[in-house]
Amino acid sequence: MKLEGRAKMLRIHFGEDDKWEDKPLYRVIVEKCRELDIAGATVFRGTEGYGASTLIRRPHLLSFSHDAPLMVSVIDSEEKIQKLLPFLDRMVGEGLIAISDVEVIKYVHQEGVRS
Amino acid sequence: MLKAGPAKKVVIYVGEDHKYHGQSSYSAILDFLFYKGVSGASVVRGIAGFGADHHLHTTRIERLTEDLPIKVEFIESADKVKDLLPKLQELVGTGLIEIQDTTVVKAAETEPSKRKSPAAALPPLKREGKAKMMQIFIGENDKWRDKPLYKALIESMRANDIAGVTVYQGILGYGANRRIHRDSALHLSHDRPILLSVIDTEEKLRAFSPMLDSMIQQGLVVLSDVDIITYAHDFETSDRRKESRS
Repeated sequence: MKLEGRAKMLRIHFGEDDKWEDKPLYRVIVEKCRELDIAGATVFRGTEGYGASTLIRRPHLLSFSHDAPLMVSVIDSEEKIQKLLPFLDRMVGEGLIAISDVEVIKYVHQEGVRS
Repeated sequence: MLKAGPAKKVVIYVGEDHKYHGQSSYSAILDFLFYKGVSGASVVRGIAGFGADHHLHTTRIERLTEDLPIKVEFIESADKVKDLLPKLQELVGTGLIEIQDTTVVKAAETEPSKRKSPAAALPPLKREGKAKMMQIFIGENDKWRDKPLYKALIESMRANDIAGVTVYQGILGYGANRRIHRDSALHLSHDRPILLSVIDTEEKLRAFSPMLDSMIQQGLVVLSDVDIITYAHDFETSDRRKESRS
C-alpha cells in the first residue's frame, strides 16, 4: 500500500465504555478500518476529559469500570476517509469526529524497505 | 477586581445532593464562578430547610445523605452578573436564584505579601504564529541501534534543537504491515503503538526529516499546520536548556 502527499487525518473522540453490538466501540472501529483497507488506525486513552455530555471522564484508581476518554486517529487519503464516515455515523452514538489536513512525509514498512 | 460602590449580590439556593452532569450542582456553580473570574464566592451549608418540593431537609433525621440546603453567594458588578446569569440558570436546575442591590463599602484586597514579586510580575512571553506539527506513528518495540526507537528519536530531536516533543502511548492500533499492536495483560513484552508529536517551524522539521529516513524502518510520519500559542519565560528556558546540554 502506498500513501503520500496530501492526506486527511480523522480523529474520533468517545468513551472507553461505548459499545457497538456488545463489543467495545474502539475495537469495532479499528476492525472496520482494517476491513476497508485503511492505511492505519491508532487508539489512545486519555487520562481525563469531558465531552458533549460534559460528564467528567476520570479513570479512578479504585474502580474497575472507568469510562476513560478514547481517541482514535486514522490517516489515509480523503477518498478512503470518506468511505469510513458512513459507518462512523452509525456507530458513534455520542462523541466527536474531526477531520484535518495532513501531509504524508513517510509511510514505510519493513517488507517495503527490503523489496 | 471588584471596587467600592454599587454592585449586585447574587444568592443561589440548591440542595446538597443536586447534580449537574454527575457533579454536585454547588461545586459546578463554584467552578463556573471561579473560572469566569468572579471576585469571590462563598458556599454555606444550612442545617435545615425546605424548598419548592416542600420536603423538610434536616440533620435531625438519622440518614447518611440529607440533601441539606446549600447557599452560594457572590457579589459582582451588574454587568458581570448579567453576563453570568444564563449559564447559572442552567446550572441551578430546580434551585432558586435571587439578586439584591448592594453597596460595596470596602472591596476585598489580596494580602500585600501575596502580591507578585517584581520578578514574577514579568508577564510570560506570549508568542503566537504559524508552525507545523509532525506526528510520528511507530511501535513501542521498534529499535534503532539496539535502543528503543522512540527514545532515540527524542534524543536526536533534542540534539537538533527541535522545540519540543511529546510521546503518547496507544492502547491498540495497526499500521502499514497490518499487524495489530496492542497492550495485552497476558503478554510480557508490550508492543503498543507510539505517537510522537513534535511542533516546530516547517524549516526545522524539514531539515530534520532526513534523520527520520535513516532511523524509521516502519511507521508513518505526517505534517500538518498548527497555530501556536505559547507562554514561556523565554530567557529562563533558553538558559536552562544551554545548562543542561553543557
